[in-house]
Amino acid sequence: MNSKLSVSLVAWAIAIAAAASATGQDIVAVKASKILPVSGPAIDDGVVLMQNGRIVKIGKATEVEVPWSAKVIDATGKTVMPTWVLAHSQSGQRGMNENMQNVPWLSVADAIDPASAWFEDCLRNGVGTVHVLPGNQTLLGGQGMVVRPFGRTVEDMAVAGNTGIKLSLMAQGGGRLQQIRKLRRALSDLREYLADFDRRKAEFEKEKAAGAIAADKNWTEEIDRTKKPGVDLVQKKTKGWLFVPSFAEMDEALRLTQELDLQIVLGSNIDEAMAMITRLGKPVVLDETLEYFETDEETQKEKKHCTAKMLADAGIPFALSLGAGGPTAYPWWQIGTCMRNGVDRQKAIEALTLVPAKMLGLDSQVGSLAEGKLGNLQILTGDPLAATSWVETVVLEGEIVYERKNDPRLQYLFAAEKDKEKKAAGPGKTEPNQPEAPKTEAPKTEAPKPATPAGTGGKPGEGK
Amino acid sequence: MLRFPLLGITLVCALLPAQDKATAYKNARLLPGGQPPIENGVLVVGGGKVLAIGGADTAIPAGAAVVDCAGKTITPGLVDASFRASNSADMNENGDEVTPHLRVLDTLDPDHRSFARARAAGVTAVHVMPGSRNVIGGLGCVVKTFGTDPRAMVLKEDASLRITMGSEPSQENRPIRGGGVDSIYYRRPTTRMGVVWEVRRAFFDAKAAMEQTAGAPPAAPNPGIEVLTRVLKGQLTAVTTARSEQDLRTALRIAAEFGYRTILEEAQDAHVVIDELVAAKTTVMLGAPSATVVAGSAGGDGADPRSATVRLLADRGIPFVITTGSNLQSLDLVREAMFAVRNGLSATRALDAITIEPARLLGIDQRTGSLAVGKDADFVVWSTDPLDPASVAESVHIDGLSVLALR
Amino acid sequence: MERLLPVRAGRAAPFVSFAACLCLLSPSRAQDIVVTAKKVVLATDAVLADGAFLIRQGKVAFAGTDIPTEARKKATVIDYGDAVIVPGFVLPPTTLGRDRDLAEASLPFTPDLRAIEAFDPWQEELAKLPAFGVTSLLLSPSPRNIAGGIGALVKPGQDNGVVATAEVHLALSLTQVARNPERPPTSLMGAVDMLRSAFTMAKAGTGGGPDVAVLRSALGGSRRIVIHADLHVELAAALDLAREFGFEPVLVGAREAEKVLPRIVAQKAALVLEPLRPEQRQAQLRLPTLLAEAGVPFCFGGRADQLRTSAVLAVRAGLDRKAALQALTRTPAQLFDQHTVVGSLRAGCGADFLVFTGDPLDLTSAHVATFIDGVRVFGEAGNAPKPHNAAAAAGAR
Repeated sequence: MNSKLSVSLVAWAIAIAAAASATGQDIVAVKASKILPVSGPAIDDGVVLMQNGRIVKIGKATEVEVPWSAKVIDATGKTVMPTWVLAHSQSGQRGMNENMQNVPWLSVADAIDPASAWFEDCLRNGVGTVHVLPGNQTLLGGQGMVVRPFGRTVEDMAVAGNTGIKLSLMAQGGGRLQQIRKLRRALSDLREYLADFDRRKAEFEKEKAAGAIAADKNWTEEIDRTKKPGVDLVQKKTKGWLFVPSFAEMDEALRLTQELDLQIVLGSNIDEAMAMITRLGKPVVLDETLEYFETDEETQKEKKHCTAKMLADAGIPFALSLGAGGPTAYPWWQIGTCMRNGVDRQKAIEALTLVPAKMLGLDSQVGSLAEGKLGNLQILTGDPLAATSWVETVVLEGEIVYERKNDPRLQYLFAAEKDKEKKAAGPGKTEPNQPEAPKTEAPKTEAPKPATPAGTGGKPGEGK
Repeated sequence: MLRFPLLGITLVCALLPAQDKATAYKNARLLPGGQPPIENGVLVVGGGKVLAIGGADTAIPAGAAVVDCAGKTITPGLVDASFRASNSADMNENGDEVTPHLRVLDTLDPDHRSFARARAAGVTAVHVMPGSRNVIGGLGCVVKTFGTDPRAMVLKEDASLRITMGSEPSQENRPIRGGGVDSIYYRRPTTRMGVVWEVRRAFFDAKAAMEQTAGAPPAAPNPGIEVLTRVLKGQLTAVTTARSEQDLRTALRIAAEFGYRTILEEAQDAHVVIDELVAAKTTVMLGAPSATVVAGSAGGDGADPRSATVRLLADRGIPFVITTGSNLQSLDLVREAMFAVRNGLSATRALDAITIEPARLLGIDQRTGSLAVGKDADFVVWSTDPLDPASVAESVHIDGLSVLALR
Repeated sequence: MERLLPVRAGRAAPFVSFAACLCLLSPSRAQDIVVTAKKVVLATDAVLADGAFLIRQGKVAFAGTDIPTEARKKATVIDYGDAVIVPGFVLPPTTLGRDRDLAEASLPFTPDLRAIEAFDPWQEELAKLPAFGVTSLLLSPSPRNIAGGIGALVKPGQDNGVVATAEVHLALSLTQVARNPERPPTSLMGAVDMLRSAFTMAKAGTGGGPDVAVLRSALGGSRRIVIHADLHVELAAALDLAREFGFEPVLVGAREAEKVLPRIVAQKAALVLEPLRPEQRQAQLRLPTLLAEAGVPFCFGGRADQLRTSAVLAVRAGLDRKAALQALTRTPAQLFDQHTVVGSLRAGCGADFLVFTGDPLDLTSAHVATFIDGVRVFGEAGNAPKPHNAAAAAGAR
């Protein structure tokens, strides 16, 4: 990326932030040709009415009265649906893995980079809620938080803190058993510490009752700051988010769920452990690799497995993750991958909306368009699962936080020339159909109109 | 215990009836390639060939097996004009930098999983070239994606000559510093300039040989020179792999210098040299349009792939096809076409760019690349529109034989 | 008669046998020997019950009823009682671990080199072979070279090895080890091209140096062309070359032969298989059976100590016992046109044979002795039979 572009990006972020604060606490109405609330049937020609950042009314345009003072976002010809929810993400941080492995007192709040290109990508792809957790290369890795991918500071972005501690069974240097042993040791250290603390406190109270300690003296010692989150974990006061890299660690994961309040994040190679996962009986998060191949040793034939399909077949609800780059960064690609492997469309969509919302305990806030929930929605040029659809606008808590027409990076990618200098250097080169003067520094061309979906037949021989 | 003899028998049995008995696929949406779509169409195949194609009123021969394809879409088998058939160590002859006469067909492993994966993704014909480690790598070939004997799979034997620009041929090469000179590590070139020098020298020698043979008795036969001569005479297509802007310009320049025509492969920076491409009337084998992820670039060798590229090529009338190319991150061919559509290409054009257009470019359009009477029965039945992210190739047929279930 | 005890091929055996050999040594060359046993397998299609054969000058002169009564009377008799005698195993192309001498590292293309030049009669590996039943082998240039050179038929001896046939086959190779990253060709394409160019030149006329001349004479049928090839692609490439230049190759290694089986059958190629191991995939263990059914001649190669177990495993996976024994004896001899010299106990062949307490393809049978050219080089001496036994044996046929 050249420096010019990054300058323009900063300018863009500031401009949007300013625009957003201006819309503030107003009433906002989104009128759309199609609304997909996820939790209910699709609404044609509908309106979503938001006030103070929350949805107050949703329904047919004929049934919802839009107050005269409302700011109206016209999404005629477009589709509106809730923003996506990610139950587990390692991206968006500067250094997602702490070198020390047993660090439950750390928090991603100190690692989240609001300027990260990944959060920018989130908005571009219609993601509105992200649960950021420490990376998978850890043991007891610190606490996560839920953010929205918009804002200049972590405080701006914060949606919910103290969402739980990251645990990982991924082997670090040593083997799998070593990692399990280390985790067990760490947990038992915490329990011992807690038992010791309780014992000393009880002794103190006992002595005080016996009069050995002055009556006006009170027990003042608190649980060590660095131990507190871990202690909360073993006391089931805090959730743990356990990464299980493959089938081989599932057995231990099952044992750990007996003693801790755990959410499971699964790696890809899990087919051998499906029985155990079924026994787990609660929703899981899948990592971004949804398909993997295995070679049969005898026949040398490759077999493709799809984690989402296996879970769907087992009746286990699952949440999907997005990759940091490549096609898995697109929600529609991930859902498409599920569907290619035979997962029902609604179930796949819920895996990026209702299921993660529920896993995060935010199901009353996000995950669908419903009255009382946060006004988080995306406006798409077409069906959310079509490759040809683009996110036009993202609204978070009633504020517009992203507009495609003002997205400099997309303009950069769709521009005809590399940069202004190059264009100037080439004499006699004129840009056909140059639109109005761009506001940003990146040369602007109209981002392509969505091509006709193949289903309706494009113009044959176009461009000839 | 009897698995193998049985497999042999089933193979033979599967081949014979599939070719003898006609099968009609009806109620399908047919995208024949280079032709308008046919709704509720009928496709009749038999003897490994397309017997009939048309609307719902197309006559179905008596005795033909009928397959109802309601809701499904049928396309020609996809053609990948630049396919990485792996076993990369053997795709490059490191003994020399210029090996025009080496044939990738000699090292093609039809049993490699890349072929099985290609078939599963609806690809029925591929153009395979030697690796990109050599300045002039050798002769590419076009094969169907199913078979056990590479020679029996061949659609076109000497389909192309691969030339590679950029840093790949010079990577890891070291200048001579003591030791024996026959060591493989003393490879030339070590710079981009050196790469071009090798190409120039090779074609210079070929040209000299051409001029000499006019008069004097021919020198000892040199297979490399012979191949290069065919390129100079326009009898063999050169395919030049070039990703970044500078390499694309270089590729065009050196081709113009010796007056041979070349296809530009990968061409991730094509958007920068559009005018030059138009002027040179060059065809582009665009590598992996999905490589332009929205944030960050996946360009190889200093290239800066843009979403705009595919649309620009179309708008400026530059002939192009979509390939998976040498990008390790490239997706299934049909998904690459899907990304091209996302980036602004029409669906029809995108589908043509992975069927009939590459077939024409490779000179195999008499056999495959579109659904037309008399052509090979290479086709794919898709669960839905192939450019939908959720589409699945439900059955893939090569010469009428359903190949997904076979090894 | 005393029951024969299994003898282990241990450290003590040479010493035990040494003393015994001394007594046998003097009569062996000069005097005829008659060997008798309950079962004598002269060749897989010639099995004698209570059989006998006569050795003269180290070669089998007569077998069974063909033995002249006069000669029999004069001959020294060695009786192995209830034992089974089979021809000695023939080990197909191998370097016997002497790659340093058999792989010319400076050049990839050396068809005019001769393995015989690198043959060390006193080589330790050679002396170990009789313990594994190997009585002759095709010493071959290493598969590290694209064209390694010309192999020879050699035999381990009592003390030192001997050359049986100086020039046998031409060894070529397309395997991974031949594609050497240190010198061209490094790729299969390059390797195939190297051979194709050379064959083209050989076929074209009279040009080229002594290396091309070797190829030309091999194409003309003077000797068998052996190509080392393991993987599918290598086998396919070898078959391509064979088809292009019209020869019937012996493919050595052939790990993935099942994938090109139809072509192997069609092009009348023969295979030298790698040793079988119990942990292998079923498909690999089944390969010999498959080849036998398809009529492809094959034998077991690689390591001498795994020859017998390979045959046993192949039988276990369905191969006919006769075919398995043939793969150890007659087939390799025939493939290299050495069947008049080794590979069976027919008259004229070297008296190379093995004595087992039972069927050699039964792992409970002990290997009792190995004879090469009529001389016991491993194991136990047979009994000098009591007179009535000799008479009974003589009268039997």
